[in-house]
Amino acid sequence: MSNIIFTATGCTRCKIVKSFMNERNIPYVEKDMKSEGKEEFQNFYKANRSYIYRGPDGIEFPIITDGKNIRQGIGASIAYLHSGDKLDGFFSVGTLHKEWVDGIHISLGNPEYTKDFIEVLRYLKGNNLKLQIDTNGNNSHILQKILDEGLADVVIMNVLGPLDLYRQIFRKDFSSHEIEKSIALLPQFPEYRFETTVSPIIRKEGEQAEISYLTPEEVGEAAKLIEKVTGSKKNPYLIRLFRPEKATDERFKSIEPISPNMLFTYRTAARAYQVFTEIEKV
Amino acid sequence: MGEKQKPKEKLTLKNDIYYYKEHTWVKVEVDQVRVGITDFAQDQLGEIIFIELPDVGDEFNQGDVFGQAESTKTVSALYMPISGKIISVNDELEDNPEIVNNDPYEAGWMIVIEPKDLNELNGLLNKDEYINLLSE
Repeated sequence: MSNIIFTATGCTRCKIVKSFMNERNIPYVEKDMKSEGKEEFQNFYKANRSYIYRGPDGIEFPIITDGKNIRQGIGASIAYLHSGDKLDGFFSVGTLHKEWVDGIHISLGNPEYTKDFIEVLRYLKGNNLKLQIDTNGNNSHILQKILDEGLADVVIMNVLGPLDLYRQIFRKDFSSHEIEKSIALLPQFPEYRFETTVSPIIRKEGEQAEISYLTPEEVGEAAKLIEKVTGSKKNPYLIRLFRPEKATDERFKSIEPISPNMLFTYRTAARAYQVFTEIEKV
Repeated sequence: MGEKQKPKEKLTLKNDIYYYKEHTWVKVEVDQVRVGITDFAQDQLGEIIFIELPDVGDEFNQGDVFGQAESTKTVSALYMPISGKIISVNDELEDNPEIVNNDPYEAGWMIVIEPKDLNELNGLLNKDEYINLLSE
């Protein structure tokens, strides 16, 4: 079965994905959900609602399907057309508009496919798009490559917490050297920001797991780590609120959310090491 | 999506129905009531692509969410204008949700309910009161 691309009239990103398929002779059928493809899109939507992401401005287009898989948004669509599911993890549906593309995650993809990932970024960048890329520090060699090729316009690094808690938060193997290397690279990008989400941490595993949020002191330690590695107290640093309803771990969904006012205490702790620390506006 | 919304004076608002503040309407038909969304609500949603409705027999209180209308630009909950039990659902909307855009007060009705307490109608709005609500 050939690919179907659902587009919206006037959608520039849809045109870029179509160009990609044309250049590579990938067969496809276009269905414009505003005109001739309206009915087909309705049926497709009805059957696949749970897989379709809606941002604050509605459904993001394009959406492509080969009958087996669905990919949505420019990054994930081109990645899938380029490499199948090998690049899953690197891309999600973004929320930025116009020339900006986000939903690009250096640390969540398989580093074995770095070459393909970089090729997709080159294609996006080559179409005059601006890329906002995020990382949690893992896969620092990819960040280095992106820096060397000038592929990112903004990089956001989520410093999950102090290094001694990284494994508990990331829940995967990591190397402190990797994290520190990424922190050191960040100030070299045209625009960058460090962030820490005040996340819940499983302090003790087991049937009655002990779960508590990162403390202000621990966020202070994360800010201190940024200072130590960059040699500067003047990095942009944002402290964000954890939203239990969006948690992927079921154990975190029922946790009491932190009051937005509590973030001021975290900001005070972080400003000792990063004077430009701000808190997320809720 | 860049769809233009109707100016308030172009909205169709009928005299023979009651309006709920959450933009659903009620039409009394002897001992049952028919419910749908107003022209304002469908216009705000834009082109509707999916409507999720309850099952016959489900019961709701006034103000409860009884379903969901989804367009390409937004998702909107559907609120019960009065309490009652669902006795009929407009199955036609499953395949043709755009009927609600084209005819929100007639063919685009959503549910018929057996009301629990018709006195709840006294708390709903008439056309002029609904127009005032839209102007706030």
